[in-house]
Amino acid sequence: MDFLSIFNGYAIGLLGAGLAAALACSGSGLGTGYAGQAGAGLVSEDPSKFGKAMILQVIPGTQGLYGFVIWFLAFGKLVPDMTVLQGWQIFGACLPIGIGGLVTGAAQGKVAAASINILAKKPDDWSKGMILCITVEFYAILSLLASFMMLNAITI
Amino acid sequence: MAILKMKRLRLMVVRSRKEELLRELQRLGCVELSEIGQELQDSEAQGLVTRESSSLMALKARQNTLDHAVALLDKYAPAKGKLLSAKPEYGGDELLSDAGVDEALKLAEAIGSADERVRRIAAEESRLHSLIESLTPWKELDLPLDTEGTERAAVLTGSISGRISLDEVTRALGEAAEEAELFSISQDKSAHYVLLVCMRESLTAVQECLRTFGFTATAFSGMTGTPKEGIAASEKTLQELAEEKAAWSADIAGRGGNRDELKLASDRVGVQIAAAEAEDRLFGTESTLVLEGWMPAEREAELEQVLERLECAWETSDPEKDEYDQVPVQLKNNALTNSLNMVTNMYSLPAYGSVDPNPLMAPFFILFYGLMMADMGYGALMVIAAIVAMKKIKPKAGTLAFCQLRLYAGISTFIMGALTGGLFGDAPYRIVHMFNPKSTWEGLPYLFNPIYNSETVLYGAMVLGVIHLNVGMIVSAVEKVRGGNPLDAVFEEGPLWVILVGGILYALPAMGIAHFSTMPGLVILIIGAVALLFGAGRHSKGFGKVTAAIGCIYNTLTGWFGDILSYSRIMALMLAGGVVGQVFNTIAAMPAGSMGVNLFTIIIFIVIFLVGHAMNFALNLLGCFVHDLRLQCLEFFGKFYQDGGRPFQPLKIKTKYVSAKEN
Repeated sequence: MDFLSIFNGYAIGLLGAGLAAALACSGSGLGTGYAGQAGAGLVSEDPSKFGKAMILQVIPGTQGLYGFVIWFLAFGKLVPDMTVLQGWQIFGACLPIGIGGLVTGAAQGKVAAASINILAKKPDDWSKGMILCITVEFYAILSLLASFMMLNAITI
Repeated sequence: MAILKMKRLRLMVVRSRKEELLRELQRLGCVELSEIGQELQDSEAQGLVTRESSSLMALKARQNTLDHAVALLDKYAPAKGKLLSAKPEYGGDELLSDAGVDEALKLAEAIGSADERVRRIAAEESRLHSLIESLTPWKELDLPLDTEGTERAAVLTGSISGRISLDEVTRALGEAAEEAELFSISQDKSAHYVLLVCMRESLTAVQECLRTFGFTATAFSGMTGTPKEGIAASEKTLQELAEEKAAWSADIAGRGGNRDELKLASDRVGVQIAAAEAEDRLFGTESTLVLEGWMPAEREAELEQVLERLECAWETSDPEKDEYDQVPVQLKNNALTNSLNMVTNMYSLPAYGSVDPNPLMAPFFILFYGLMMADMGYGALMVIAAIVAMKKIKPKAGTLAFCQLRLYAGISTFIMGALTGGLFGDAPYRIVHMFNPKSTWEGLPYLFNPIYNSETVLYGAMVLGVIHLNVGMIVSAVEKVRGGNPLDAVFEEGPLWVILVGGILYALPAMGIAHFSTMPGLVILIIGAVALLFGAGRHSKGFGKVTAAIGCIYNTLTGWFGDILSYSRIMALMLAGGVVGQVFNTIAAMPAGSMGVNLFTIIIFIVIFLVGHAMNFALNLLGCFVHDLRLQCLEFFGKFYQDGGRPFQPLKIKTKYVSAKEN
């Protein structure tokens, strides 16, 4: 415990809040990146599909938004003289959306990139690709909820 | 409100009435032609009847020409239409006639050939552009390009890599042939363009020497005059071509006013194609034709009139049970349940003879959607969007169902928003506190709220799930009884209800909600479990009874657990939408909080508010739909639904550009 207590609670809280945003945004960055590459390939062949390709590309963008929401809520709870214990509590509450957002963002991006194939080959069925993407989204939402409810339970 | 009863139709008609019959059937739009049954092909009649053949290919080619012309018009003269506008409407007779199709085809061909000219000109233009590009380095050469030298002197043109110094080349050349002279015409980053003059007899030596420097000869085959003249001539031709191209483009664009004629003609040909496809399914002898198909029983009277008039010999019959898999499925629904057709179609149609899920699903789908979205602002937006779309586009079939679904879901969202106190997240609260930070107002009142009573909402969602699943089970049990297997219902659904009642009676006192003994509940629970095990094993023998029972416990436990927990997504989506909206409101109000309310901070508030809610709205619109769909298709349908129906595709007037008036 001595080792941990040399940290300041505020710093640990900041670290947690920062990770919530940074990891989830990285996940969204990866996801929109994969989908964007596939989309650019399709648009180079058929520019009229830009709108739909863009919709598929932004679907993995929500994890970053969720991460940002948790960052915002956690940041609002941080006070400079908080205890080390409180700092770790915030840190723990931030983890679900950080890790969940990172992994689901990247995974959803891969589904979105594959769905751009549907858009290219069977344009009438592209909305089914969208549905496949939203399945992954649910786990990002659950991560968001886990973080949110834990944050709500912490009193400072 | 059900799956329409179908009848098998068989008819014979004299050949001279073929066209008329197909046309009348198409106008009625209630008969699906099927391939003639096996019996006809196997019987003695086989040698006498032959398959009809139509001019399908030719018709499809005509439609292609027309569609291509429409696409070309859209490219050269984009229609300046309003964003939301209804397709023009035509009556059945207008669409069945082929008036104007020939003229439209001529027009379409003219447009097609004009486009062909434009493309040929474009190809010629790019050829000339590359010619000019290749001549540009030689612009300063004052020699006709077809110069081949004189009797004694040879003339060569070519390029040498730009990295090699020309002095070096000249020096080496002097050693190879004294009289040879190298003139530099021009140079760019990559190459020196040079003219070489030498005696004919030393040409080989000179070429040998130049090869070591990577000299590449440039040939201007077939060109005369100096490069300058060549470039000027090409530029002049280019100008003429551009004018010609503009003229042809303007010619196509000038026909933009004929777009509607072309579209109508394309749809008329489309109607003919549908008839031709039907014709291909007919069999006939020299003087008669046989037709077989399916029709909804409720339209028999209507059809009878037409068939009598055409002097057909015909009969209808109800399908046998073992034919059910061939019978096409058509759902008939009222305005409320029609909206769910879209969901059913996306999944898979119910099998003929089973239950139409739409009326059962409609109340739950709309309720769940409202709960997930739960925001008065978003609900109002959905209602407005749906009404505007229905007024402006006048949609039919699938699009209409989609708009209706949005409308009902919007109303439900609005009501749930009122119950949870959500209006664009917590916008009223934020705005009041932005203008008056000392206000003690706590926001809109609410009955339940996912943020403040998350546990209640979570349990409520699961209770809704139990109700939803039980409705599915009741349907399944009723179907089993109706199908003559009441025992199946007693042993499969029955024990689960006993367990449910026992579970509730046990859980209430155990959780301290009610004050009576847990004993009766426990006893009922055990009775139910035993009945379930007995039911599972009743079709197996010996050791099979044990494995069936174990399998049953496993499936029932995990299945029900998973199904009910799955309904927690209602609460999850409700909460996520609310939280994201609130955070955007908070961020939007921050500048006003720190800098005071002024014009600048109000503008910032509005911008962040609009962007944030637009994102949240779009995301929820899609997310709630997909998760609601999942609850219906996976959890609910899993309890009773028999899918695999084949959609009813009658011969009818089907259009792409215009809309057919319903009679």
